[in-house]
Amino acid sequence: MPFKFSHHPKPLIGDWLVIFASFALVIFMFQSFWVFEQASNLKIRQGNQIVGTFDLNQTRELHIKGPIGESIIVINQGKVRFKQSPCRNQYCVHQGWLSRAGQVAICLPNQISLQLMGEKSSYDSLNY
Amino acid sequence: MRLFLIFLLGFLLAGCTKPEPLYNTQSYVFGTLVDITIYGESEAKAQMLSNEIIRNFQSLHNRLHTWHPSELKTLNQAFSQGKTPVSIQPDVAKMIADAAKLSIQSKGAFNPAIGSLIEAWGFHHDEFKPVKVDANKLHNLVQANPQMADIVIQSNTAYSNNPAVQLDLGGYAKGYALDIALAYLRQQGAKNALINIGGNIIALGKHGDKPWRVGIQHPRKPNAIATLDLESGWAIGTSGDYQRYFELDGKRYCHVIDPATGYPVQGVESVTVLIPPQNNAGTLSDVASKPIFIANPEARAEAAKAMGVENYLVIESADKILVSKTMSKRIIWLDKEAAKHAVQIQPSP
Repeated sequence: MPFKFSHHPKPLIGDWLVIFASFALVIFMFQSFWVFEQASNLKIRQGNQIVGTFDLNQTRELHIKGPIGESIIVINQGKVRFKQSPCRNQYCVHQGWLSRAGQVAICLPNQISLQLMGEKSSYDSLNY
Repeated sequence: MRLFLIFLLGFLLAGCTKPEPLYNTQSYVFGTLVDITIYGESEAKAQMLSNEIIRNFQSLHNRLHTWHPSELKTLNQAFSQGKTPVSIQPDVAKMIADAAKLSIQSKGAFNPAIGSLIEAWGFHHDEFKPVKVDANKLHNLVQANPQMADIVIQSNTAYSNNPAVQLDLGGYAKGYALDIALAYLRQQGAKNALINIGGNIIALGKHGDKPWRVGIQHPRKPNAIATLDLESGWAIGTSGDYQRYFELDGKRYCHVIDPATGYPVQGVESVTVLIPPQNNAGTLSDVASKPIFIANPEARAEAAKAMGVENYLVIESADKILVSKTMSKRIIWLDKEAAKHAVQIQPSP
């Protein structure tokens, strides 16, 4: 036999406080976390090919060959970055860590792109 | 009860695994990333359509290449050697005539005839490096006053009245390619697609029951600063100082060069324009951001008006973000700081 609720004639002030606090927390969390969903995995492309889809929750170093040499990509527990690239301008390396769904880093000279995927990305394509 | 829950779970998971009829492919063309998404077609058809689009892009890119042998390079060589007409393909003739019209409309701020200036700044390389440019040389290149109006087109031949004219369609071709691709998709009966060439995007139809949604890149962070719904036929384009640039002595030199001074534009990080459906929406999404990017801050609204642009966003710095009234109704800020600093632009009288 499961437990039985005991009924108060009406909610007490504490109940109202708990209800109010819960609503406030929900609104706060909705605003804070809705658009910036943490990515769960990573799609790496080289040229027209998908190199693979990788779980972001691991520590791993990937060496990927492109037209101008080898790029090194590091996955570190929920985030990813270009660690080393043979390109001259190093824009990809300067992008730094990516962790949110929808984020993209591209190395045009070496034709390698990192795309972070989540349950729900906040957009279909990126204007830059 | 437990059985019911298991059924319910199975049902929900089945809902999760049902694949969306969404086909996505990426390639490198025009020296940048081309991303094509097609919704609601069989995989075979979507693949056929995107392969054909990529093939067309590649062909256009090869023909218009500025620093590898190409139709355009041959034309530029002929321009520099005198007024002998050379034959050109009909589509190139059309592009030149159209670009000339847009150049006049922008009061010369959009000027694809300044190939020599862009070359002088070292941007005619796959991998450019910081260069110190001789001020005299820049002065002479500006004084030579190359204009699109110097080009004379007669029955698919062209020559230039000014030997300084060197075409560089880098601020035109990607947008033009979007229009070509959209026309092709429509002709093939495709209903829903999103095409992105190096950040310039055009939409056809929808993503299922919702409009296509695009993110606008933050010019200094690896995130989107905002998103907006790109309805069917609309196009979006950005000129930024963060895609092609070099740094020298702590100063940033971007690839957008002011034809009037000969120097890269300073003091603005990005200009985004949103173009409503029309025959050349893609082209305008590429071209129309340049005059606004190049204009002095107080002249931006006027430059936008001259190009017929109502929806635009200017990011001058982290705390100076300007957005047109109509655009502010369309964008959804993701970056809270940016949202706080955004102010509405007063329209040009």
